Amino acid sequence: MLEGLDSFEKKSTRNCVFISLVFEKMEYLVLLQNGLVVLLTIAFSWKLITYMWGSLKMEKEPMKVLVTGAAGQIGYAIAPMIARGIMLGPDQPVILHLLDIAPAAEALKGVKMELLDAAFPLLKEVHATTDVTEACKDVNIAIMLGGFPRKEGMERKDMMSKNVPIYKEQASALEEHAASDCKVLVVANPANTNALILKEFAPSIPEKNITCLTRLDHNRALSQIAERLKVYVTDVKNVIIWGNHSSSQYPDANHATVATTNGERPVKELDTNDHWLKNEFINTVQQRGAAIIKARKASSALSAASAACDHMHDWVLGTPKGTWVSMGVYSDGSYEIPKDIIYSFPVKCEKGKWSIVKGLKIDEFSRAKMDATAKDLIDEKEVAHSCLN
Amino acid sequence: MGKEPVRVLVTGAAGQIGYALVPMIARGVMLGPDQPVILHMLDIPPAAEALNGVKMELVDAAFPLLKGVVATTDVVEGCTGVNIAIMVGGFPRKEGMERKDVMSKNVSIYKSQASALEQHAAANCKVLVVANPANTNALILKEFAPSIPEKNITCLTRLDHNRALGQISERLNVQVSDVKNAIIWGNHSSTQYPDVNHATVKTPSGEKPVRELVADDAWLHGEFIATVQQRGAAIIKARKLSSALSAASSACDHIRDWVLGTPEGTWVSMGVYSDGSYNVPSGLIYSFPVTCRNGEWTIVQGLSIDELSRKKLDLTAEELTEEKALAYSCLS
Repeated sequence: MLEGLDSFEKKSTRNCVFISLVFEKMEYLVLLQNGLVVLLTIAFSWKLITYMWGSLKMEKEPMKVLVTGAAGQIGYAIAPMIARGIMLGPDQPVILHLLDIAPAAEALKGVKMELLDAAFPLLKEVHATTDVTEACKDVNIAIMLGGFPRKEGMERKDMMSKNVPIYKEQASALEEHAASDCKVLVVANPANTNALILKEFAPSIPEKNITCLTRLDHNRALSQIAERLKVYVTDVKNVIIWGNHSSSQYPDANHATVATTNGERPVKELDTNDHWLKNEFINTVQQRGAAIIKARKASSALSAASAACDHMHDWVLGTPKGTWVSMGVYSDGSYEIPKDIIYSFPVKCEKGKWSIVKGLKIDEFSRAKMDATAKDLIDEKEVAHSCLN
Repeated sequence: MGKEPVRVLVTGAAGQIGYALVPMIARGVMLGPDQPVILHMLDIPPAAEALNGVKMELVDAAFPLLKGVVATTDVVEGCTGVNIAIMVGGFPRKEGMERKDVMSKNVSIYKSQASALEQHAAANCKVLVVANPANTNALILKEFAPSIPEKNITCLTRLDHNRALGQISERLNVQVSDVKNAIIWGNHSSTQYPDVNHATVKTPSGEKPVRELVADDAWLHGEFIATVQQRGAAIIKARKLSSALSAASSACDHIRDWVLGTPEGTWVSMGVYSDGSYNVPSGLIYSFPVTCRNGEWTIVQGLSIDELSRKKLDLTAEELTEEKALAYSCLS
């Protein structure tokens, strides 16, 4: 290439080639340099991103959970369940607020000591107090176990008159001090009416946020069917507990199903003995509480605590697809149930909200039972209101 | 589809600890959230009704992992096919009872349960003795169930271990999950030695020794030890009942770590059959620091033992040797 040129031209061409080679090299070098810089930047950003992601995923913000009547039997059963993540999930840290009355202060302290001794990884703090304001402060979840227990010989009116003032006071405290959108579950009996009183005296808590526990009866109904059909309880779903968590409750298996090798079949189809479903099944579930007391000489704490965890877990984290559960919720008149009472309905939960399952067929037998338990609740409401005067 | 269910026996199941423990087992706290279980609950005939009540409640709770419940007063039925045995049942110390009296009652119980387990439990059954005197009850069990591998018989000191972690976390105002590697040496009694010489705390600048952060050896050698040793009594004073919640929870931790393994870099405390490590007499059930892997525990070796610790390790070993002699005298 360089042959046909004179020496100067040769030199300059050579220089040009040299320079262009150098430039090329420099281009390569620059390219390389740029490439390296880009690579390093990507690597650094990646590390930064994963570090930030790591620290974001580090831990969720703890949720504050209030348990009233925490020094009692159900409290003792539920506290470790909450601390282990059974209520809110295995990755949700919790701060427990334990409340009880002054006479139980020492016992409450003992519970707090044991919670510390158990070294639960998810339990970030425990506050044990007899001061309702301190207990309610900023809580996201409130489990109301505390109430006046029914003593032998007590009339309904007596029980009501003891519990109404308790729930009136706790309503105010929650309304003033709890976190907005606090989810409330009333367990102490009379659960539905205690919840109603709470709702009436805490008008700024969304009415949808005040519920009562019928999940225990719901779980009991599932297991009675499972025992009858000799299947695992996990294969049974969609029973309904209608109405009051009392002996007037209506355990309804009309829409319940069982998982079989032939797919999901209605319980009614597999247990052709309609008689059992309309009689013994209903009685057993309605009176199970008394049966437990007879056997244990103490009321059900283990299963009540577990059901309370299930209720709150499904409310917050959602019900599985195709499955509903029973919750005592503020009636909106669905299924011709009177409004302004806390009545147990079949509900599905999604994104932290429950909604009543609509459109289920109600036969004559069911209609009568649903109305009877509604009447029971109206009566209770009247007794409760009369105590306020 | 799902794993085969594991059979878990709880003796003394109608009592306080049993009532706290069974829902934990049924929820998967002991063996993991994907491990189905079948519960065997055993108690004495006077407690049969109460035991049935517990079974009813377990059914009522509709636990997804609970594939069956056997509630019985027959020790053979209770022990048949069990893979894990939690021995909560025993004769509690009553007011005015001498040590010898408590010992003689419990020795007979653990002798008979040993035979039943040996004959009817599944091979490689893992045993955890909780009922006091835990170490010596476990030793009796071991001696009368010679075909159960000695490594499979343990006693609970995880409660004391967790208590120690809790006390340190309170003192340093950190999360208990950031504290690890305490050790409980010896007997689950007031001679136990809670040792944090090798314990560490996770801080923003890495893991630091507890001793360094506490910076108060007097507290560590005095009040800290006394608090952990006497915590059981403190709980009784506050609750008017002994610790059930924390005992049940620790029993779950003990089994879970044994079966599923301890986390990397972490050890726990378990009462195990001594092999003479750390100059502790062999032939006792003595609490050591252990790591667990593949369903087996191994004593952490090579930890330095200072003079003060040496004395305490020996003191609790002495007590266990005495208890062993006392137990044997009851058998004659």
